[in-house]
Formats: sequence, C-alpha cells, structure tokens
Amino acid sequence: MPASHTVAVLLDDALLTLNRAVGVLRRRNVAIEHLALRPSDTAGVSRLTFVLKTDPATADRVVQQFHKIVGVRDVMLVATEDSTTEV
Amino acid sequence: MTEMLTGAQILCRTLVEGGVDVIFGYPGGAIMPFYHALGDHPRLRHILVRHEQAAAHAADGYARASGRVGVCVATSGPGATNLVTGLATAHMDSSPVVAITGQVPRAMIGRDAFQETDIIGMTLPITKQNYLVQDVAELAAVVREALAIAQEGRPGPVLIDVPKDVQNQKTAFLGLGPRGSGLDTRAPSPNPQDPDGVREAARLIAAAERPLLMVGHGVILGNAYTEVRALAEKTGIPVITTLLGISAFPDGHPLFLGMPGMHGEVRVNRAIQHADLIVGIGLRFDDRVTGNTAGFAPRARIVHIDLDRAEIGKNVPVAVGIVGDARDVTRRLAAVVQPRTCVPWLEEIREFTRPRAAAFRGDLAPETILASLYQATEGRCTIVTDVGQHQMWVAKLYPYREPNSHITSGGLGTMGFAVPAAMGVHLARPHETVWAISGDGGFQMNMAEIGTMVQEQLPVKMAIFNNGYLGMVRQWQQFFHGKRYSCTPIWSPDYVKLAEAYGIPGWRVKDAAALPDAVAQANDHAGPALVEFVIEQEANVYPMIPPGGSLSEPIETAPAAGD
Repeated sequence: MPASHTVAVLLDDALLTLNRAVGVLRRRNVAIEHLALRPSDTAGVSRLTFVLKTDPATADRVVQQFHKIVGVRDVMLVATEDSTTEV
Repeated sequence: MTEMLTGAQILCRTLVEGGVDVIFGYPGGAIMPFYHALGDHPRLRHILVRHEQAAAHAADGYARASGRVGVCVATSGPGATNLVTGLATAHMDSSPVVAITGQVPRAMIGRDAFQETDIIGMTLPITKQNYLVQDVAELAAVVREALAIAQEGRPGPVLIDVPKDVQNQKTAFLGLGPRGSGLDTRAPSPNPQDPDGVREAARLIAAAERPLLMVGHGVILGNAYTEVRALAEKTGIPVITTLLGISAFPDGHPLFLGMPGMHGEVRVNRAIQHADLIVGIGLRFDDRVTGNTAGFAPRARIVHIDLDRAEIGKNVPVAVGIVGDARDVTRRLAAVVQPRTCVPWLEEIREFTRPRAAAFRGDLAPETILASLYQATEGRCTIVTDVGQHQMWVAKLYPYREPNSHITSGGLGTMGFAVPAAMGVHLARPHETVWAISGDGGFQMNMAEIGTMVQEQLPVKMAIFNNGYLGMVRQWQQFFHGKRYSCTPIWSPDYVKLAEAYGIPGWRVKDAAALPDAVAQANDHAGPALVEFVIEQEANVYPMIPPGGSLSEPIETAPAAGD
C-alpha cells in the first residue's frame, strides 16, 4: 500500500555528497513528492528532507542505501502517513 | 620526515606505501606529470594496456585474485570514460578497485576544455566514493582514504580525479613508510554483534526438514570457506553456490549441489522450490538466481547473512537477517548449531536429478573441452570467464576444487571481461596458470590485449569457444523471438593467424581427437597462447528458466520448428 514516507538525512555540506545523495533517489527509481535542503543546526552539515510515495519495504530499501553514502551522517524515517487517510 | 613533493610524486609514494605493486594504465595529456614521476618508482610496475577498459578489468581481476586493491590509471576525457564499464563491473561484483584519472587544470574545469569530461558525475552511481582533488595538500589523505574505502566493508571501486596542475603543485609530504606486504582486504569490518539473529538461525536450522545453504561471493571475499564447510558438515545441509560463489565450496563434496537460477541444474532449482529453509551467506538473491521472486522458494523461510545491511530484504523477504562478515557470522552460527543430518532430504534431492539431455552434436562438446582443460591443468589453475553461453557451460561443468579459482563478470555481465581480467589475475598469482575463456563475440571485444600480454610478458592462456554466433542472444532469439537470428551471426578472423601476427602460438581444434594435445601444449607453453575451439553453431545452454519465469518451470529442449 503506497504511503508518504518522510525521510531526513544529515549530510556533509558538500556539493558532491549532495549530488551522490540525490543520485540515490534517481537511481533507485522511487517517486518523490517533495524535496528540500536546508542548513542543519551543526555548521558544515546540511539537512536533506524528502517525501517518498511508496510502500514501506521500498522506503526502507531507500533508507538503507543512504546509510552507505560516504558523508551521510544520519538517516531518519521521520514520518509515515497512510495515503488512504488523507483528506 | 617531511619533504616537498609534487602531487604526481605524492600519488606514487602513497600508492607504494599502501602496498600497491602493479598498476594498469594508459598515458595521456592530463596524466603526464604522474607518468613522469612513475619513472622514479620502480616498485610500481606499470602495465601498458591497449585500451583503458582493459586497465579497469585487469585491476579488477588483480583485486579478485589477490584480495588486495587493484589500481588503474587513465588520462582525462576519453581515457576516463573508457574506464567506466570496468568500474561498473567492479561495483556490481564488489571488487576493490582504485582508479586514478588525470583532469584538465583547475582553471579550465567547466569550460569544456580539450579532453575535459565530468568523470566524477559519470561515476557517481558506480563507485563507493570519488574525489576531485582541488588542493594538493589533500592528495595524500585522499589516496590513503580511497585505498581504505575500496577494501573496507563490502568492497568496491573508488575514483580519484586529479587536475594536471594539482599533479604539478608542490606541498609538504609526510610519508608513512611502505607497508611492504600490502593491505589485507580480508580483515573483517566491525560487526554489530547479533547473538539473537545467530541463535534464531540455529533454531530454524534445527527445526527444518529441507534446509539449504546458498553461498555467494561474500564467502570468497570474506575468506569463509572453512567456516561454511564446517557449518555444512556439522548440519548435513546441502550447499548451492551462486555464479560468483563458485569455488567457495568444493565441487565433488557429497553436500555440493551446484549452481541455482536461470541456468541452474534442475535438481538445484527443485531443491530450492521444495526447501523449507534457505540460509543465504554473502549473496544478493539476484534475479538470475531467483527468477520471478513471487514464486521463489515458496515454502522456505530465509536466513540472510550479509555484510551490507542494504542487501537484507532487498530482493526477497527474510525471516532472519544478520548483518556481518561472512566468516565471523558463519563461525558463530556453526558453533551454536546442533549437529544433525539431512539424509531423507538428500535422498529426495537425488531423485530430482535428471539425466543431462544430449545437447550437443558432434564430439567437441563443451563438456569434453572442459574435461580436457581439467586434465591438462590437473585442476590447478584459475579460470576467468567472459559472458554468455561458454560462461554458463564453464560454471556448470568445470569441477572447481580450489577456493577462488573461478573469476567472472557476474552482476554486470560484461562481455570482453575475461582477456584483460586474466592479465590482472596472472599478476596477482604469477606462479599459477590462468586460462581466459571467451566466446567469439567477447574475445573480439578486447583481443587487442594480446599486444599487452606480449609486451609485458603475461603468459595468459586464451580459449575461444567459437560458434559463429553471439550464442546466448541467438539462443534467446531461438526461444523467444521466433528463431529470427537478427544480427547475431558474427564473423571471426583466423585466430591462428592472429596469434601468429602477435608472435604467440595458436591452435584451432575442430574435433576431440586434436583436443588433448592442443590444450596441453598451450597450457605448458611458457608465454601467452591461444586455442580456438570450433563448436556446434546452435548449441544451447540447458536447462533455462525464461526471464521472469519461475524456477519450477525450466526449459529443457529447443522449441519445435515453426513455433
């Protein structure tokens, strides 16, 4: 059952790391509803937030791929919203 | 002691200190400072290939055979892009390769300069990590980190892009001193201890009636042969090896079953479909192994042991996932598992065995050729295969007994891999015989590397299975495209004359009578040698699971004419 999964990634504030991170989303061929990048509370670290519209297993697969990127410090699945409950 | 060195000198020094002793490469404008410095480092043997793709495959072959990082070097632009196929191959098959590319000077980057290309952007999805070195002061740390990242955890390729002016820049360098024996990639990475997972796996093994062990490349990369064998022998569980897991468990062992999947033996795939437990160690459950995952092992619970957390549950749902080094986890599992046997199950599997249909006309069947090869080498050689029908015949028919004696391009399925990769294997194992087996299609992709073998004195033995077709594609056309052999007949040169042109001996074998002599002479020749086997044109690899099909429904005969 597709749902919206919000994932937050803390990563080095470097263009190449960001490129690699966004590349994983493209490479793994998942639908992205929303994508945002902003500075985190820590200097030199950015916070990449995106919303995936997919089933939980696929969302977990994507999260696992992020753990492997050099320069990614943390990956959190911060919210899951079942699409059937949306108004 | 701190010295003032150029970036090019630092590249050489850090490679030497990292234990690198051979590099495969091709010079060009943007990498010339490195090649200039190379002359001062005799410990770095440079192998001049004929195409950069071969440099990447050779580095990959070296890495797979030695367990150490393989290094390749190319210039910017076309030199760098030519490495891409080799890096993708290494990435798919978890091989520790470091590529060093020259780049145009920093001031020119972004201006579409001569031989400028965004190799960093191009290799992002096929490397574990890559670097554009913008400051010579970072270079030594980058090379050291690249060598470490390539080997640690699940191995893979890393690329370092070094602008020409950075190669010429000077900076203070503090050497670590040579490591001498080289880096050991077999060192397990730190594991999260997972005693619950191991205990649960042991409980499932004790309760199972039809358990199977499926072992993959991770067992070879993790040097877990002894542990896997101990686990199998303590529990009596039969063992399946994936394409890249071949030689991780000895062929001929009473518990050895064979290869699963698209071209797996019927009894192996049937065993999977009847199993109630599959313990997978260091494999990806790739689609060539599982067929349609919806119908894969419908009765089995799966225990998956893998170093890469992202592989657990990626392709098939698992009952127990254990993240860890194959050797470490298997040892712990073997220690806690209750001794048992699987006699009725082995008997059941024996009944799955079908007589192998006579798939070949004439007397030069692949089976006969490979038996002759086994005889000539007494089974003591490393075989590097290319991609296609011959690859499957070798995987199914050659009885591997020595660990890590089978090297092939599995995940990416790269035709043209065998010949250059075998050069790397020879350099990693200079005292062993290396046979590169290719089809007539794959051989012609990289046959220019015979020149490299002659110039660098690399005594690789080349075997060509020549059927005049791109055989595996032709087989698919026969089965799934109404026998329309579109663009698969392929002309070959006279390979014996080709060998002669390069000054190496060559043999053409058309019948079994000539087989033993030709193979033995090629095998015993001191330098590179070539043997062409003229085989039946339309021989097929059986059985075959159609792509996306279930392991339960193998094709074992050709479609009737007119189908």
